[in-house]
Amino acid sequence: MRSRDALMIGRAPFAPLIAKELREILGGRALWIMLLLICPLIGYSFFEAASLYGEASEAATQSPVVAASLSPLDGILVPTFGAAYVAVTLMFPFVAIRVLGQEKESGALHLLAQLPYRASTLIAAKLAAVFAAWALASIPMLSALVVWRLLGGHLSIPETTNLLGGHALYGLLVGAIALFAAAISESAATAAIVTLAFTIGSWVLDFTLAGHPGLADWIAQLSLTQILRSFEQGLLSFGLVAGILTTAAGLAALAAVWLPPGVPVRSKLIRSAMCIIAVLVGLGASSQIKLSLDVTEDRRNSFPLADERALAKLFDPLVVKVHLAPEDPRYADLRRNVLAKLERAMPHVSIRFFGGRQGVGTGDDAYGEVEYVYGGRSDVSRSTSPREILPLLYDLAGAQRPQAEPGADYPGYPLIADAYWSLPWFFGALPLLVAFAWWRSRRPPRINPSWCVTEVST
Amino acid sequence: MGRRYALHADIPFGASRQTAGSPLPADRALSAAHTVPQPLLEISGLTKRYGEQIALTEVGFAVNAGELLGLIGPNGAGKTTLLETIAGVLPADAGEIVWHGVRLPQARRREVMFYLPDGVRPYPEQPVLRVLEFFAGVYRRSDAHLADVIAVLGLAPSLQKRVHALSKGYARRLMLALGWLAPHPLLLMDEPFDGFDLRQTQEIVRQLRRSASEGRTLILAIHQLADAERVCDRFVLLADGRVRDAGTLAELRQRANRPEASLEDIFLALT
Repeated sequence: MRSRDALMIGRAPFAPLIAKELREILGGRALWIMLLLICPLIGYSFFEAASLYGEASEAATQSPVVAASLSPLDGILVPTFGAAYVAVTLMFPFVAIRVLGQEKESGALHLLAQLPYRASTLIAAKLAAVFAAWALASIPMLSALVVWRLLGGHLSIPETTNLLGGHALYGLLVGAIALFAAAISESAATAAIVTLAFTIGSWVLDFTLAGHPGLADWIAQLSLTQILRSFEQGLLSFGLVAGILTTAAGLAALAAVWLPPGVPVRSKLIRSAMCIIAVLVGLGASSQIKLSLDVTEDRRNSFPLADERALAKLFDPLVVKVHLAPEDPRYADLRRNVLAKLERAMPHVSIRFFGGRQGVGTGDDAYGEVEYVYGGRSDVSRSTSPREILPLLYDLAGAQRPQAEPGADYPGYPLIADAYWSLPWFFGALPLLVAFAWWRSRRPPRINPSWCVTEVST
Repeated sequence: MGRRYALHADIPFGASRQTAGSPLPADRALSAAHTVPQPLLEISGLTKRYGEQIALTEVGFAVNAGELLGLIGPNGAGKTTLLETIAGVLPADAGEIVWHGVRLPQARRREVMFYLPDGVRPYPEQPVLRVLEFFAGVYRRSDAHLADVIAVLGLAPSLQKRVHALSKGYARRLMLALGWLAPHPLLLMDEPFDGFDLRQTQEIVRQLRRSASEGRTLILAIHQLADAERVCDRFVLLADGRVRDAGTLAELRQRANRPEASLEDIFLALT
């Protein structure tokens, strides 16, 4: 009965499959070479960041204001993890493609497709292995955090976790793109080109289209590099997380559609279309999730705590009429300094644009104005600073401006540390450990002596 | 998909069919409905095109339970394409596969048959033992069964070698071992003797016969007609993607009107 069960699709055990996928990804050179390259890359970025942070900290010893501007998130974590981002963008696709590409090239896909697993199960196992590979590749990144702490540096758990989570989601997305590319491509080389078209194409989008108005700006927002910005700013946007997970799941589903070799292309195209529609619906729903958390210790994405509490009590809808073009730098300031914070602090905020395009001789005297309408009253300002906007809002609501809470100021974490001793770790000890682990992974398996009986003549 | 297919899948390696578990209800119903022995597998109208080129043209034949059926034909006859379309790893443009009288859709072929392709070295970076353990794990085969397969196919000396480092003969044995680990009642093998010398071929033939005697059905695509004549119970002669004839050697000789002819002579006469 057990054998019959083993043939029923969906009844086969998952453990051998995931073990095989992990062995496959560990058995290839791509992951280990990537790890060996990441170690010095992260190490150099960390050393440079720590050195610059130390120089800035020297000035902070004389000035508490300068000290308050020193955050390890901006000074250490973002630049150090940035090296991992480059590595994941350029090298991780080759690791991820391997989990499917090699089976296609060796012909083993014909065997895999006959095993009693659903295509979705096969892809789920592969995606899990790819994510495990990302986790392994993040060891140098995590070791940089340990080194920073050993140097006496400060780490905020929410900030660090949020940024790590962002990089994990980015790794998952790149892995899903690579899996999809491997599923639709005949060879690993083609799959690599397809994946790099996504990842490096994102850089091209950033460089060429960002800051341009209209459609170009919208297309630039699709860039993969935009994903990390929110996490690097210390924001945990649930809509963004849902969007990334939806996209990764959609790409994995598409990979599952294109995996079985025995299904006609027309059927695959129909299923793909259904998949894409489902993903678009999911992305639409994700875009409606406005909830986001400011996880930064210096509360850079929020108003002071006293203001946040006061604003949370303004229950009437606030309408903000913005007479600025979206590509206007003043709008970017207004968005970052005021509007985004208001959306998180107040229960009902809606923003309307009346700016159109900024141009010489348009004759629009109102251009640059921002009108705030609350409780039937309105006021206009051209400022992008909360110092002017918040009193305006309190006046509109007829509320008292709250007193600043003592001791709520961010102290900053200056640190003058000698980061030189981290270099032997990143350039010597860690690569040696990686090489040792690689060697261990290639050791032949133990043989049961009872198997060493030969029946066939050789 | 409420239908259930008659699976004779739980035949342990080295045991006879009588030791297998009782057939599924659908199997018993089919057995009762058909007093005349029914073919295990019926293929009809199987057609496959690659663009303008027609690889298979309305191929049809039947396979009986427990037999060794040889698909024979020259290189380019369409043997591999035929096996792949039967196994469902290549989509067919037309045709039907019937299993115990019930139409078998492409998605469920892997429940009753397992196809061993030619020239595949699965998971080249892995040691042989890991590949075997993976398949044994998937099909819930015991360590004893795995040990039996390793012993029968003489794979012990190569267990620690990586698949890419195997000789052609050992790579072929590995593929056979995967087929032996799969519990399917029907095994499709593409060029199973490629890479073996005469002695090894004879040993493998012995193992194939043993497998067939235990109730497993085998379809072998063979381009070496002498090997096919030694091994197979019946033959399907394939040329240019069409079935030219099918039957036992005696039947083929009779139809070719050459009572003493070898399979090679008959093939040349009929194609």
